[in-house]
Amino acid sequence: MFRFQSLDEDCTLEEEEGLVEEEDEIDQFNDDTFGAGAIDDDWQEEHARLAELDEQVRDGEVSVPPTVAPAAAASSPQPSAPPPGLEERGGGDLAESLARLILGTDPAIAGVGAAGLPKRAELPPQHKTLSEALPARPPLLLGYQQQHLRMGTAPLQVNSRSIWDSIGFGPVGVTPGLGPHMEDSSLLSIIKEVGLPKQPPPMRSDERRDLSERVPPPRSSSPVIGSPPVRAVPIGTPPKQPLSHMLNQQIHCPTAVHVRAPIPHRYAHPFPDRLSPNTLLNITNSPLCRPPFPGGVGPVLSQLQRAQLLSSQVGAFPRAGPVPPLLPGGGGGFRPFFGQHPPRVGPHIPPNHGPIRHNTTHLHPQHRRLLTQRLQSRGDRGGRGCERRIRDPYSNLMTQREKDWVARIQMMQLQSTDPYLDDYYYQNYYEKMEKKQERDRDSSSKKEHTTKLITPQVAKLEHTYRPVQFAGSLGKLTVSSVNNPRKMIDAVVTTRSDDEEKREKQVWNKRRQILYTVEKMYSLLLEVQDFEKKFIQTPEEQRDALLDQHKNHTIQLYNTLREKEWDDRVSDEQCLMIMSVRKGKRLVSRLLSFLPPPQAAAVVMAIARNLPALAKKDKQDQVLCWLVEPVSVVVQSLSSSALTDLLQELQGSEGQLPRVLQNKFGVTLLYLILSEGERMQSSDANCQLMDDNRWTELVFSVTRKLLEVPPASLSPPLFTPPNLLSLFSRYVDRQRLELLQEKLQISALSR
Amino acid sequence: SRRSCRRWVSLVLRCREKHLVLLRDGRTLIGFLRSIDQFANLVLHQTVERIHVGKKYGDIPRGIFIVRGENVVLLGEIDLEKENDTVLQQVSIEEILEEQRLQQQAKQEMEKAKTQALKLRGLSIPRVDMLDEY
Repeated sequence: MFRFQSLDEDCTLEEEEGLVEEEDEIDQFNDDTFGAGAIDDDWQEEHARLAELDEQVRDGEVSVPPTVAPAAAASSPQPSAPPPGLEERGGGDLAESLARLILGTDPAIAGVGAAGLPKRAELPPQHKTLSEALPARPPLLLGYQQQHLRMGTAPLQVNSRSIWDSIGFGPVGVTPGLGPHMEDSSLLSIIKEVGLPKQPPPMRSDERRDLSERVPPPRSSSPVIGSPPVRAVPIGTPPKQPLSHMLNQQIHCPTAVHVRAPIPHRYAHPFPDRLSPNTLLNITNSPLCRPPFPGGVGPVLSQLQRAQLLSSQVGAFPRAGPVPPLLPGGGGGFRPFFGQHPPRVGPHIPPNHGPIRHNTTHLHPQHRRLLTQRLQSRGDRGGRGCERRIRDPYSNLMTQREKDWVARIQMMQLQSTDPYLDDYYYQNYYEKMEKKQERDRDSSSKKEHTTKLITPQVAKLEHTYRPVQFAGSLGKLTVSSVNNPRKMIDAVVTTRSDDEEKREKQVWNKRRQILYTVEKMYSLLLEVQDFEKKFIQTPEEQRDALLDQHKNHTIQLYNTLREKEWDDRVSDEQCLMIMSVRKGKRLVSRLLSFLPPPQAAAVVMAIARNLPALAKKDKQDQVLCWLVEPVSVVVQSLSSSALTDLLQELQGSEGQLPRVLQNKFGVTLLYLILSEGERMQSSDANCQLMDDNRWTELVFSVTRKLLEVPPASLSPPLFTPPNLLSLFSRYVDRQRLELLQEKLQISALSR
Repeated sequence: SRRSCRRWVSLVLRCREKHLVLLRDGRTLIGFLRSIDQFANLVLHQTVERIHVGKKYGDIPRGIFIVRGENVVLLGEIDLEKENDTVLQQVSIEEILEEQRLQQQAKQEMEKAKTQALKLRGLSIPRVDMLDEY
């Protein structure tokens, strides 16, 4: 059709080239989509041949009926316009000249041209006879030849990685001339029935060899980028019958055959990603499961053989026992294969076949047995109609292989990762049956192995595909294929569990709350700070009001720090909360100066008490030292008892002081306190610092700790008060004093 | 369902028995199932379209059918022994077609009356077969 048109109309060289190449591409796509068997010329040829053969049968003579002309006409849209150069020649030369024409003009075939010509003699006999008879024949012939050539090309694209290799067949496309023959085979039985012997076309070994040179360029498949591997035969194509044609070669073509020795059967890697029914079929039909046939005869016999047997067989079909190899019981509709196969498949699976998953079909062995029993009973019944069935020539249009293939596809859908989820009732039913069987067996004391259903768990293959990214490149890959689609958006999915979310939310809420509190306090503080200015500005009358307001503010400020409404103490919790935020620390440092002394003292106490915690929280901010100034002011205004208290608070529980010492602010505070104490002592002779031993004891412990603590964990203070030395000199002996001096780097002159 | 898939296995085996196919448009085909594929595309040979009207049925010979899988509602095997004992009476094609026409007519009239009655009451119920167009 398309081809014919192009050849007939545009006979110029360039156009021919382009068109033919296009056709090749198109046909390649065609083949890829539909399989190499789907070539439209094919069925036309077949139809023509058959139609003509039917005619022959009817007429009983080799005729050149008008049916051939219509057939030819149907196949070629321009039967009346043969190429001009051919009109002159006679019928016998027609084929030759046409061949020359095609082969000569098509540069792709040109190389084969020489080889092509002598092939004319090898043309199938029927074509020869017909070509002699009818000039209208050539287009058909032409098509046939072209189709041969095409057949030659398509299968030769079979790369080594095609699935057919793994199946261990010989290359399907080795014999181009067998394309039509394979189509023949399904109809062969019909022809056999009607009693017309047929000779398949002989092997075109030369042609094939030459054709291998004109294999079209392979489709680009880049493993780096990740395009899918080239499949000469698409994944969905049903299996062909390779063994059959091999056998037929042996039968019909005694000439040497260039057939590659079938690739030794190897197991496909365990559960390949692209699990086609063919591989499944293959896996399950591996030597493990194969019935004991002689090698070379697979479980599937060719249609031809079956057809042969049809005519030879009449009666008894062997039912029971292992079936002899060459008696498939073909046309009779009885398939002992299936009957025998599966029960053997189940128990045959050796336990050490871990990686290879046989029998993923999930049919419980009992179930399968039931099915086969049913089948056999049907078959038995059908045996009575066997005479009728023999006459049914169309009964073998689907080979057992194909049926298995379809069945496997269906079974593949049954694979599940969670059988109890998908098919609860089925599992339960058979489990109960198993249990019942075991109980029965135990009662009858028969130690038969109860067949259990071992459901292979199909691993959830998570293909997280990561596209190929070149490091340091801008933008994304431009080449994308099926396997690596372009990732347009780098959307990072952050999935958090509920608990985590709750916790995070809580944390954030708390923080927000703290910040809110701090903000409120700040506004109050600012009011307080601005009080003086305002005070000056406001007239006399309103000053009282302002004062009141001011008081209120301060009270309010302090209130927020308080623990409870009625408790005047500073809430540690609240303090900590506020001080955990940077802003809060700032706030407190400013606040301290505005609080009334007792309250300020309380705050400072709280700070000292919780210093380790504060220090920890301050690690990121490191702004505790903002507090130094206001705190020092407060400290200096403390009474001696308060000071002692403060020191005590600072020391706190066991182990607090070292931590305090680690922190700069802590050390500074400590020094402040000590220096204040010293000042008190030195300035005021009758200060109450020495009234109880607390102060002394505290200082003693402090000095002890100071000496104990390794220098590394002693943080340098913001400043070292000068009178520390004199303080220490009161409490420690000379030796220790010197040590302290060294450690703390205090000298009489240091500031 | 998994059960139906398992039934499939046995069905696929018996590709030479007479099968009955019900199509989505309501047609019933009976023929020899010659080929089947993974989409349930069927090749039926010596097909006969059987029209049922009441207790009568008629067969129209159709030849070879290739049915696209998506149009198959159900597919079943015909038990040849039981095929013949049926209460249904076979009639000629003309008769059954006439019967069918009458049946369709009656149905349409009923539908029309119904929709009319509903319209009077202010309701409009869409026809189920129209919905299928989506």
